[in-house]
Amino acid sequence: MPREKAAKRPKLAREGVTGRLHYFVERAFINIRQNVLVNVLSIVTIALAFLILSLFLLVYVNLERVTASWSDRVQITAYFDRELSSGEVTDLTGKIRAIHGTLDVGYISREEAFRRFYGRLKGQESLLEGVSPEILPSSIEIRLKRDSRDSQSVATYVTRLRQFPEIKEVQYGEEWVKRFDDFMNLIRFAGALVGGFIVLAVIFIVANTIKLTIYSRKDELELMGLVGATRMFIKAPFLIEGMIQGVAGVALALLVLTGAYMAFLHNADIFSGIGIMESGLVFLPLSHLAALLFGGAALGFMGSLASLKKFIAL
Amino acid sequence: MIQLHNVCMSYQRDATALSGISAKISKGEFVFLTGVSGAGKSTLLKLLYGALKPTRGQVVIDGVNITKLPPSQLPALRRKIGVVFQDFKLLPSRTVLENVAITLEVLGWGKKDINKRVYHILKQVGLEHKINSTPIRLSGGEQQRVAMARALVNDPKLILADEPTGNLDEESKERVFAILKEANVRGSTVVVATHDRRLIENSHKRFIVLDKGHVTEDSDAS
Ligand SMILES: Nc1ncnc2c1ncn2[C@@H]1O[C@H](COP(=O)(O)OP(=O)(O)O)[C@@H](O)[C@H]1O
Ligand SMILES: [Mg+2]
Repeated sequence: MPREKAAKRPKLAREGVTGRLHYFVERAFINIRQNVLVNVLSIVTIALAFLILSLFLLVYVNLERVTASWSDRVQITAYFDRELSSGEVTDLTGKIRAIHGTLDVGYISREEAFRRFYGRLKGQESLLEGVSPEILPSSIEIRLKRDSRDSQSVATYVTRLRQFPEIKEVQYGEEWVKRFDDFMNLIRFAGALVGGFIVLAVIFIVANTIKLTIYSRKDELELMGLVGATRMFIKAPFLIEGMIQGVAGVALALLVLTGAYMAFLHNADIFSGIGIMESGLVFLPLSHLAALLFGGAALGFMGSLASLKKFIAL
Repeated sequence: MIQLHNVCMSYQRDATALSGISAKISKGEFVFLTGVSGAGKSTLLKLLYGALKPTRGQVVIDGVNITKLPPSQLPALRRKIGVVFQDFKLLPSRTVLENVAITLEVLGWGKKDINKRVYHILKQVGLEHKINSTPIRLSGGEQQRVAMARALVNDPKLILADEPTGNLDEESKERVFAILKEANVRGSTVVVATHDRRLIENSHKRFIVLDKGHVTEDSDAS
């Protein structure tokens, strides 16, 4: 069929991948502008869901920080079978420092030990009259790095200490370490449980919100198919739109969270009453913020993808 | 352009919309598809643009048997066909320009070319002054013409129009019909489904009559 119009071939825009991507992003923003109300509602809903999640994270991060600081009490004391020369001490502390998990090592001489003991007697110092420091042993005090303070790591560490022939006895609050360990595990478990439920709720809310925004435009989806758009062409702007909604929702949630934090949460005063914190709340670390934003984008994308499946079955 | 071989279509097991339709429409023809309401006109058009698959028989469009078409090939078919839907299917949140532009966007045209071409086609249907209106603010006849502009804007090889003159006053009917005839003169094959006998009688074009899913008359019984 000879067609006069066929001669006048229009130049195709959007050649190549970047051209197409540019078009799809532009299309997504036009769509948002043309459906402002639906998009605003959707973004606000996503923001509320993520606000709950980020509040939970804020509480959890701080709770873990406070409880973890309690583990500063974990201390290992090693006693010798005899008095060591200062050369031997330097040698031994050097070796201990090289063990994985060591934070710092301190030598407690007999004099130092006697001074501490004396200090503890408060008012009954006369009891020690005539007693020389020689009755107390010298020792080495070791503190471990935070990630080596669980009972498993401490036990392994102590086993290694005992292998030094100079060391006669090792003491550490075994009971306490074990109880602390159990407590931390409980907190982590409870956190994972509650956090898991919140994440599920967020996924549910976001997916359904996005489904509504797509449902409100099912006519458009149908028409695009009828005028010969490929699935990719129909879907891409909606997927980008979903990602924009997700990121915008999370950004809004974090903005509100930051505002609330600046306004009162960072202040230590309201917590000093409960006596668990000296320094107020810390804000979410950057890694968490990034993860939330990424989560918002991913959820927006997946939510759109899942919803589109129902409508594009042309 | 179109060949139908013993095409049958039933929506449900016992309700048959089309039974044993065979017909041939050549390139460049202008054909009316007529019959009372419920005769199967819309169903037949839907088979032609691949919105439905026949339960039996073959449909060949422009040399392609679309009954065996994989879904990935459907867009290519639809780009050759301009459809004027009975319910227009205009997007209410978009302007007339944007509604008509969809057809060309799908083809990957650039913005400048799209604007030029859309303006041109809107001028043809007499709506260039409404280019920035939304469909809700247009009369029924104007909406019909926007729907036609969207179907015609890429000079499709085949134009399918479902009741394009339904619910229109005489003047609008004339106008719509004239636009379709023009497209036909420019080279498009045109199939118009209508129950409007007067329109057909005045036009002196070929017509195929459907009744209860059967072809009962073909004015060009070749
Ligand atoms: N989606 C559908 N589901 C079930 N039956 C349908 C559907 N669409 C049409 N039909 C039936 O198919 C027959 C033909 O309908 P249609 O093609 O719309 O006729 P026309 O366009 O000529 O008025 C009618 O009996 C109608 O009830
Ligand atoms: Mg009909």
